[in-house]
Amino acid sequence: MKTGEHLQMRWMELLVAACFVGVSLLVITDSLRVGNAWGSDGPEPGYFPFFIGCLLLGGASWVIVQTLLAWKQDDGKEVFAEKHEFNLMLLMLLPTAAFTAAIFVLGIYVASVVFIAAFMVWQGKYSYFKSIAVGSGISAALFVLFEVWFMLPLPKGFIHTWLGY
Amino acid sequence: MDEINNLFQGFAVALTLPNIGFMFIGIFLGVLIGVLPGLGGANGVAILLPLTFGMSPTSAIIMLSCIYWGALFGGAITSILFNIPGEPWSVATTFDGYPMAQKGKAAKALTAAFTSSFVGAFVAVLMVTFLAPVVAKFALNFGPPEFFAVQLLTFASFIGMSKEPPVKTLMAMMLGFALAAVGLDSVTGTLRMTYGQESLLKGFDFLIAVIGLFGIGEILLTMEEGLAFKGHKGRISLKDVLDTWKELPKHWATSLRACLIGCWMGVTPGGATPASFMSYGTAKRISKHPEEFGKGAIEGVIAPETAAHAAGTSALLPMLTLGIPGSPTAAVLLGVVDMGTATGPLVVH
Repeated sequence: MKTGEHLQMRWMELLVAACFVGVSLLVITDSLRVGNAWGSDGPEPGYFPFFIGCLLLGGASWVIVQTLLAWKQDDGKEVFAEKHEFNLMLLMLLPTAAFTAAIFVLGIYVASVVFIAAFMVWQGKYSYFKSIAVGSGISAALFVLFEVWFMLPLPKGFIHTWLGY
Repeated sequence: MDEINNLFQGFAVALTLPNIGFMFIGIFLGVLIGVLPGLGGANGVAILLPLTFGMSPTSAIIMLSCIYWGALFGGAITSILFNIPGEPWSVATTFDGYPMAQKGKAAKALTAAFTSSFVGAFVAVLMVTFLAPVVAKFALNFGPPEFFAVQLLTFASFIGMSKEPPVKTLMAMMLGFALAAVGLDSVTGTLRMTYGQESLLKGFDFLIAVIGLFGIGEILLTMEEGLAFKGHKGRISLKDVLDTWKELPKHWATSLRACLIGCWMGVTPGGATPASFMSYGTAKRISKHPEEFGKGAIEGVIAPETAAHAAGTSALLPMLTLGIPGSPTAAVLLGVVDMGTATGPLVVH
């Protein structure tokens, strides 16, 4: 197997650890803002989060150091995922991300119709008519279930405001 | 005697008509979740949670427990027929279950699996019923220092029992702590880590975190691995079931050991997966013919299944009495119970 045909574990380790460093910095900055000392009446609001942030930062730095120390020796042999596996995963992840973004614009029900129908046509190779029918049916059922029956308002976006519900 | 009365009172509540209906729906959905690779018990319970919003707390718990049990058993079906463990705790079942199916004894393996699950779960229910009041009475004496100690022990054992490097387990736990710290500080009333976002006032919702971590993650992983099935026929006739049942009492010792291992691993936060492996390992070590293990020994199905179900059930004991979940699914269930009723020592008392 040539390098480049799989995603290397060492890069993923670094990426995840970097995300953790980011989160830990967010936690630590805000803990310092609200106070991280032991006040006269007990712990200030940032007391525990500050230590949580420090542990996060320490752990992430440890992983980064470990990965870099083993960098040469590993030589990219450890596989995180094969390229084609990763692409399969993206086929699911990207539309889901687009769906989530669409909820804010179209509302969850319209977005679901589009999402389900598009997936059926694209991945399942169903006919347009069947896909749209199933998508609308599921959305309508969810609408009745949540909005009418349980009376739980779910995000509706501006289309629904425009439709007047 | 009180315990027996309570047990029967519980049965009386559970055996009303609507609740029996919920049980059937729950088991059906649970088996479905268990059979689908990638959707585990914890994810299943989390995803199907909205179904229970309109129900009374008792019915909701009944249905979710049935989903949980169904998922536990559904994992065994795919392990035996496809050699694909639907759940982590049924990995040990594949060692002997699949060879049995290859030899054409799939029906026998399935019968052994579901009978053992019943035995394991039943023993654990008895254990929970009789032990819960004792543990709860003890827990009522708990003050903040004791609860801190129990929680610390739990988190420490997560690190100790995890196969991953300790640093990563610690990081994951700290990320959870950090997420839980977002929002209004209950002691001082100060907002922390909201960064001006009003929707973060109440912090991160537990359910959202669970569905995101378990559900979506697993779905993506399943996509990545590609879905390929190649299985054996699993037709069961009544004769197969009866024949297997005649044989099962011979393996009472294996069952009993598996129950003990399961109950112990469930009460301490070990969970069903390590319990099934430990039980399989012990059964193999003690067996008179260890060379048959891995080639389709029926004990190799009985031991992990019994232990997994005993552990899965007894994981509810620390959850109901101490408010500490013994398994990921119990953690999700705990979230539900917290919404409806109180947990902790007072529930049982």
